[in-house]
Amino acid sequence: MTEKDVVIIGAGPAGLACATRLKEIGVNDVLLIEREKKLGGILNQCIHDGFGLHKFKETLTGPEYIERYLQKLINYKVEVLSDTMVVNLFPDKSMILSGPWGREKIKAKAVVLAMGCRERTAGAIWLAGSRPAGVYTAGVAQRLMNIDNYMIGNEVVILGSGDVGLIMARRLTLEGARVLMVLEKLPYSSGLPRNISQCLNDYDIPLYLKTTVTRIHGKARIEGVTYVSLDDEGKPIPGSERFIRCDTLLLSVGLIPENELSREAGVAIHPVTGGPIVNDTYQTNIEGVFAAGNVLHVHDLADWASMEGELVADFAKRYLEGSLPQTQNWIEVKAGEGIRYVLPQRISGKIDVNLLFRVSFPARNKHIVIKDKDRIIKRKRVINPHPAIMENIEVKRDELKGVQSLEVMIE
Amino acid sequence: MTKEMVCILCPNSCNLIVTQSDKNPDGLKVENALCPKGKEYAHNELFNPKRTIASSILVEEGELPLVSVKIDKPIPKSKIFEVMKEIKKAKVKAPVKIGDILIKNVAGTDANVIATKSVDKI
Amino acid sequence: MFDIGIVGGGAVGSSIAYELSRFNLKIAVFEKEPDVIFGASGRNSGVVHAGFYYRPGSLKAKLCVEGNKKIKEWMKILNVPFKATGKILVAFEEEEVQELYKLKEIGDTNGVEGLEIIKGSENVQKLCPTVGEAVACMYSPATAIFSPYLFVIALAETNLLNDVKYFLNCKIVEVKRENGNFMLKDQNGNRYECRWLINATGVHCAEFSKMVGIDSYRIYPCKGEYLLLDKALAPLLNMPIYPVPSKDVGAYLGVHITPTVEGPITIGPSAEYIEDPEGYETTPEIMEQLFQGGYKLWPYFKRSDVIRTFTGVRAKPVPPGDKTFYDFLIKEEESVPNFINLIGIESPGFTSAPAIARVVREIIEKKEKLIPKEKFVPASPRKERFEDLPEEEKQRRARENPEYGEIICRCEKVTKREIIEAIENPLGAKTLASIKYRTRAMMGRCQGGYCLPKIVEILEKEFGYKPEDFQLHKEGSWLFSGRMRKND
Repeated sequence: MTEKDVVIIGAGPAGLACATRLKEIGVNDVLLIEREKKLGGILNQCIHDGFGLHKFKETLTGPEYIERYLQKLINYKVEVLSDTMVVNLFPDKSMILSGPWGREKIKAKAVVLAMGCRERTAGAIWLAGSRPAGVYTAGVAQRLMNIDNYMIGNEVVILGSGDVGLIMARRLTLEGARVLMVLEKLPYSSGLPRNISQCLNDYDIPLYLKTTVTRIHGKARIEGVTYVSLDDEGKPIPGSERFIRCDTLLLSVGLIPENELSREAGVAIHPVTGGPIVNDTYQTNIEGVFAAGNVLHVHDLADWASMEGELVADFAKRYLEGSLPQTQNWIEVKAGEGIRYVLPQRISGKIDVNLLFRVSFPARNKHIVIKDKDRIIKRKRVINPHPAIMENIEVKRDELKGVQSLEVMIE
Repeated sequence: MTKEMVCILCPNSCNLIVTQSDKNPDGLKVENALCPKGKEYAHNELFNPKRTIASSILVEEGELPLVSVKIDKPIPKSKIFEVMKEIKKAKVKAPVKIGDILIKNVAGTDANVIATKSVDKI
Repeated sequence: MFDIGIVGGGAVGSSIAYELSRFNLKIAVFEKEPDVIFGASGRNSGVVHAGFYYRPGSLKAKLCVEGNKKIKEWMKILNVPFKATGKILVAFEEEEVQELYKLKEIGDTNGVEGLEIIKGSENVQKLCPTVGEAVACMYSPATAIFSPYLFVIALAETNLLNDVKYFLNCKIVEVKRENGNFMLKDQNGNRYECRWLINATGVHCAEFSKMVGIDSYRIYPCKGEYLLLDKALAPLLNMPIYPVPSKDVGAYLGVHITPTVEGPITIGPSAEYIEDPEGYETTPEIMEQLFQGGYKLWPYFKRSDVIRTFTGVRAKPVPPGDKTFYDFLIKEEESVPNFINLIGIESPGFTSAPAIARVVREIIEKKEKLIPKEKFVPASPRKERFEDLPEEEKQRRARENPEYGEIICRCEKVTKREIIEAIENPLGAKTLASIKYRTRAMMGRCQGGYCLPKIVEILEKEFGYKPEDFQLHKEGSWLFSGRMRKND
């Protein structure tokens, strides 16, 4: 059986960055596995710009962002197996690969999970009504249009204001479809404010907050939807039902880290992030299994996913060398008041750590506070905290001396 | 006059507060911008709003049916649909290389449409 | 000219065709949908019933008990997956225990084998470790779970090998008598002639009967909604769990929770009378009720485990509120000789289908002698799912054929080879749902998020599909309005 030092599962922004970084720091026995023919993951279909500002200090389209890594990949001669799916992953870090070339079991000393995420579906949000054609998740629609050259409909309602949905609202409009409205059940958009401005406002597409679809109509192709206003508790307001005719419904109702393989291998999953529970070396509960990018938690920007991939490369190297920080007393990191989740979920206190988190509600001029019980360890001002934006706060090793537990909260 | 706008130049989405004084209408006071581009954006937005767009052009004999494209500089917002019209009409023969100019001076905007990915020949 | 014309190609219609195709008869099946599993046959719990719910002596009781044995035999012959899980009916209160005894008595009288009353929560949990806190249960070892769509597809494909003609997308809109035969016309004006006409139209049976000239039946469509749960939960449920049936609604079995042979778990069905015989809609209120009802039986799932909802419609011959027992009606109509009517074939219609087919055959045999065919093919070749093969065998096949190496559906691990075989299905069903039912691609937790574009690519590149050729299920369920960029 082939044995590799590091196997990276998934060649999206996190996996690509991890693979190239490993080569840069001298880990050579690396295999990067991608299930698609082309490397790059979902960014191949994200033909709009807005990527790379943090990583490359300029704004790039998705394919351009990928191209930067592909060049590096060639230069560094990274071993790549594309068109290959990891169908099973086992706790001993062996795995079964399958592709047109055949099917085989291999083993790794360290595994980096970088499988990205998938979209939440109509069933998962309990969408009622009939099951006609023309109900697409936004990402599938994006792929069918931007890669496969299909037009998916003419009169479109979009449910959910996630970024993919907003981007698709503009994309469809430019292609001549009529985007009738975007509905969001929350009192605020779950996409970036910039995308509300340039994808909806620019084209006079209305966004209705606290509104949702309650019923899909049509037997063969969708013929319309019933939508309804929601009260402050998110319950439908009786009598507010309205009907709108449409031939397409796009769902942009959230992304779920793709952890079927991880689960199978016994990786513990966090109930809020949907990704593995990791420590400050991005290691899961299985020794030598690391996670980076959207498989760990859904990022707002591809740049951060790549940077996470690079960070994990460093830790994977240290794992191979046996120099990862060891401890028996992990410091648990808790999401406190106003915080949805914090990552990593546990830290050793022996290295600097960049805590990543998302707030629960949009607000203005708040402070992020990190506490050990009642002792404040750090404070940081945030001007416009928004659930759509991933926030971070760095905590130095020195600041963690004597710390028993950590809680991140908003004030 | 004070106006709020979201800067769209990068994902930071700065929530700009733009004040235009009556005495000097060209001089704007821009608050809340994380970088100097915010001021420039606010100025353009008020006097000459511009956008970049991304789309796809048909490829003949390519390994993919489409090549993704963008325009290499912002164009007036009012020209977007004219530019789209030209993009929809265009087609190219594979191979296409990333960075290739596929349409020059699109719709008289002085901007070029360039490929954002490479598409090999089948 | 056909000897036998069967209208409706679902479980009942295809079972009848299977039964009759053993004889020298020219048989045609007319199916209005583009595939044979789009009606009730693809919209049910997937349970082989034992037969203890139905009044002793009734056709339902007799045909269900007979069908229980026969459908299992047929599935073995046809190589259709089923699991002899047994099932439990669970009493949560002492008053319900009496009901269990009543059902056992009915079942024993009907000839159901092995029924057993088990008392005490611990003993119930020995059978089914994850069931909610129950005081007693009735265990029915004869109950089984199976794949309803694969069963009907296997029947239909076998029927083809025995020279049964299937006409898909063929809705019979007119029936006339000419020279003692039936002249049928479909929605496109095509004409077909047959000597015997069999009404296997399920929920549309009264309507069709009227078309043939007998307007004495009425069907009250009764909808049943279901929730479908992620197959990750499959290891936690070893058999269907049913409540003690409600006394209010005829033979309504109540909301139950059922494992499927493929892994996902179903909760349902509800029971509401509706106007539209194809009103396959789900509603927020019912979904919530199903969640609550299912949770009481089996408290092991969360809201986020729901991956899809679906709906079936029962062909009830009695209006809402009518509590009289009603039976299947299977007979040759005196006023229209050679017209065999099947009215009110709802649950346990699927289990009974092979027995119903036997009854229909006997009706025909009363009037003419049926001569067995020399070469009857008992089953079309069916492969097991690639995913169910041992790993060494998978590797061997993938080495030999690249299409076995390429995984198209990630959730259900369906290979390209299996997708292609489904596209090339002998019935000629061309919809995406046809691929879905045959392979399970697009049926898992991501609901086609990953594999739909891949399947579209295969259909386009290897089967020459144009944008307008893609159809999800019913006629008119187009996927694409065209190309985004046209090459003209």
